Amino acid sequence: MNVAITPHAGPVTAPAADATRRTTWHPGAWILWSSFAGLCAFVTTDPVYLLLLWAVAWFVYTTHRVSEPTAASFRLFLIAGVVTLVLRTTLVVFGTIDLSSTAYAALEGLRLATILVVFGTFNAVTDPFGIVRLAPRRFHEPALAAALALSISPRMVSAVQRVREAQRLRGIRVAPLRSVPALAVPVLETGMEEALTLAESMDARGHGRGMRTRYRPQPWTAATILVVGSAATAFAMFLWASAAGWAELHPPTAPLGWPEAHPALLAAIALLAVPGFLRPGTASGHAERR
Amino acid sequence: MTDALRYAGVTYSYPDAPSPALVEVDATIEHGAFALAIGPTGAGKSTLLRAANGLVPHFSGGAFAGHVVADGRDTREHAPRDLADVVAFVPQDAAASFVVDRVEDELAYGMENLGVDPRHMRRRVEEVLDLLDIAHLRDRSVRRISGGERQRVAIAAALAAGPRILVLDEPTSQLDPQGAEHVMAALQRLVHDHGITVLLAEHRLERVAGWVDVALGVDAGRVATGTPAEVIRTLAAGPPVARLGRLVGWEPVPLTVRDARARARAHGGAPGGDGDGHSRDSGDVLLAARGISARYGDTEVLHAVDLEIHQGEVLAVMGRNGAGKTTLLRVLAGVHDPARGAVATATGTPPRAGFDVALCPQEPERVLYGDTVEGEVRATLRARGATDAASPWLAALGIVPLASRHPRDVSAGQRLLVATAAVAATGAPVVLLDEPTRGLDPDTKDRLVRFLRAHAADGGAAVIATHDVELAAAAATRVVMLAGGEVIADGDPATVLGDSHVFAPQMTRVFGPGWLTPEQVAEAWA
Repeated sequence: MNVAITPHAGPVTAPAADATRRTTWHPGAWILWSSFAGLCAFVTTDPVYLLLLWAVAWFVYTTHRVSEPTAASFRLFLIAGVVTLVLRTTLVVFGTIDLSSTAYAALEGLRLATILVVFGTFNAVTDPFGIVRLAPRRFHEPALAAALALSISPRMVSAVQRVREAQRLRGIRVAPLRSVPALAVPVLETGMEEALTLAESMDARGHGRGMRTRYRPQPWTAATILVVGSAATAFAMFLWASAAGWAELHPPTAPLGWPEAHPALLAAIALLAVPGFLRPGTASGHAERR
Repeated sequence: MTDALRYAGVTYSYPDAPSPALVEVDATIEHGAFALAIGPTGAGKSTLLRAANGLVPHFSGGAFAGHVVADGRDTREHAPRDLADVVAFVPQDAAASFVVDRVEDELAYGMENLGVDPRHMRRRVEEVLDLLDIAHLRDRSVRRISGGERQRVAIAAALAAGPRILVLDEPTSQLDPQGAEHVMAALQRLVHDHGITVLLAEHRLERVAGWVDVALGVDAGRVATGTPAEVIRTLAAGPPVARLGRLVGWEPVPLTVRDARARARAHGGAPGGDGDGHSRDSGDVLLAARGISARYGDTEVLHAVDLEIHQGEVLAVMGRNGAGKTTLLRVLAGVHDPARGAVATATGTPPRAGFDVALCPQEPERVLYGDTVEGEVRATLRARGATDAASPWLAALGIVPLASRHPRDVSAGQRLLVATAAVAATGAPVVLLDEPTRGLDPDTKDRLVRFLRAHAADGGAAVIATHDVELAAAAATRVVMLAGGEVIADGDPATVLGDSHVFAPQMTRVFGPGWLTPEQVAEAWA
């Protein structure tokens, strides 16, 4: 028997990476894109526009998601969006029940849910700590707090997956709904512990010494400028419509009427989908984003 | 000139701990030393290392007396961040130290904090990418690389910050023999060529004993400094050649294969006979995998693997990092669905995790989420409706004294035993252990090996995925070698390990194929 062993320990999963090109966008582009998309949702309760924004968020997410835990966290935001919508609508039941107040509540709920979903996309396409690195020195601490907050949902998702798998490996069968309290303590504990370890590691590696430099700052490429420019235009259109009243942004609920779909605003929403048509970086970056 | 690292009268207790973790530690490590902390799991090695840059006590709290001075800076007056330009620390769980998502950015993170000039940073990142042989990982996410790759990235990130002192807690635990040698060679180059001081803790002395020039023996919080040979002699620990030396009364004990070969020649060469290794049992088939192929995304990780696991067998699945060991275990446990092929139990059904097969994952803490060690085992027992006490399981793994402790507050090696008890208590006939590595000191290793052998002797079977050659030599009745997702060797340990340059245990290197453990050699000589 001959045992063939080559001395180099090459991992089988490594894609051939482009050695020189960065494969992600400037995080600022994502901050601005999601702010503009969220603001568009904020100024309207028209379900046509709002549902199209959901579609845009999904489209952008599928093109740009970073890695698995954040992908799961997008689903979490999606669920949170739906729950918000349902809760906001059913809360009306405790008041006067009539068609127009229910419709009004549903549209309000949909608006909130849309903002959540846009935020979910932002969460799934950016590395929270990439944003910390970007922050000017004076805003370092708030940026860090924000990054920790942003990283909570992916962390929670992976903690839940971990505890679930642990239960499975130990033959502990828990019904999905009944497992919520059983999961809560270990998930919170794991989350706290991770946050603490992270803080420890950051400190040990000199975080907060106050003389930062930046490694390979990401440039504002033509693509990112296009993304921000089109998103800003989209929001400007909505703002203009809201201020000048050339399109109806809030469909009538008393009495109930059909929502409007103004071609100019449909075009504006299409502008928000621009990032979905642009892929950052090179093909090598995508080998990983499978 | 000041010393690189000085511990003066250090006594330290964790908050609410019954006894101190460090007791009156006086130790000095000179600039340019390559130092190794040796001692059983739970002896205080990690605490000693974490005190070097002030993580203990700045982050851990507790009662701290004495002084730790790193390159002239007292950790009492300097927080870890103020020492970041002098001491770099790589924790036991490398993944926990990652801050940024992308490998290349992760390497630069420390330098950014230290305000290193961007042009210089760029150059240094390239250097450490080459030094640790990870240039192909630069664009990957730190969450999507293997355990061994993470370990190398964490070491590279620590190095990139340009510290004068590098402190590493079990830096080779997740690496295969080649990877470990590569890391040790890189560290030695830093010590020799750049005068960097390295302090590391490691259990697998066969990997490190030959490289270092100073040893710190840590036992129950007390620390004694000396040459590696002196320290190893006073502790029960040691690479297999040292254990052999102790068994047959060689003085001083040999630390390397080369030393041992010279001593063996003086002793009259190899013992008579061939050394029989361990005999191969072939009881009933408990688990059979047929034509297994498995993928993660686009990557095929296992290809057409056939494997039968028999009653009474302790099977070691070996192979370099990324060979597909973990995936094979997950497929056998029924938690990863193969792309092709199927796994069947003795009754022909697919395996159910927690019923037919018990899997202890690579990070044992992943299966632990209870309040007490005993509670962990009881939760498993309750799940299958068993009313038995937890104590037999605790006794089988030698962890009865830990029964009321919190699973997260015990040492890494103890945690491994607790996790093994928690999954084995499912009563599954086949127990799988995925790369038991961290904190695996000789005593823990013995307990684990005894448990697995007893489990196999009771009509079960055990499978360990490992790149720890000595663990396989001590435990296995059969070895399967994986490479690139395929089985390339399958047979008894003496044959498979004896035939390999990389995976040969120390006794095989000294005495030739067939000799696996020092006990076996000493017995043949007696």
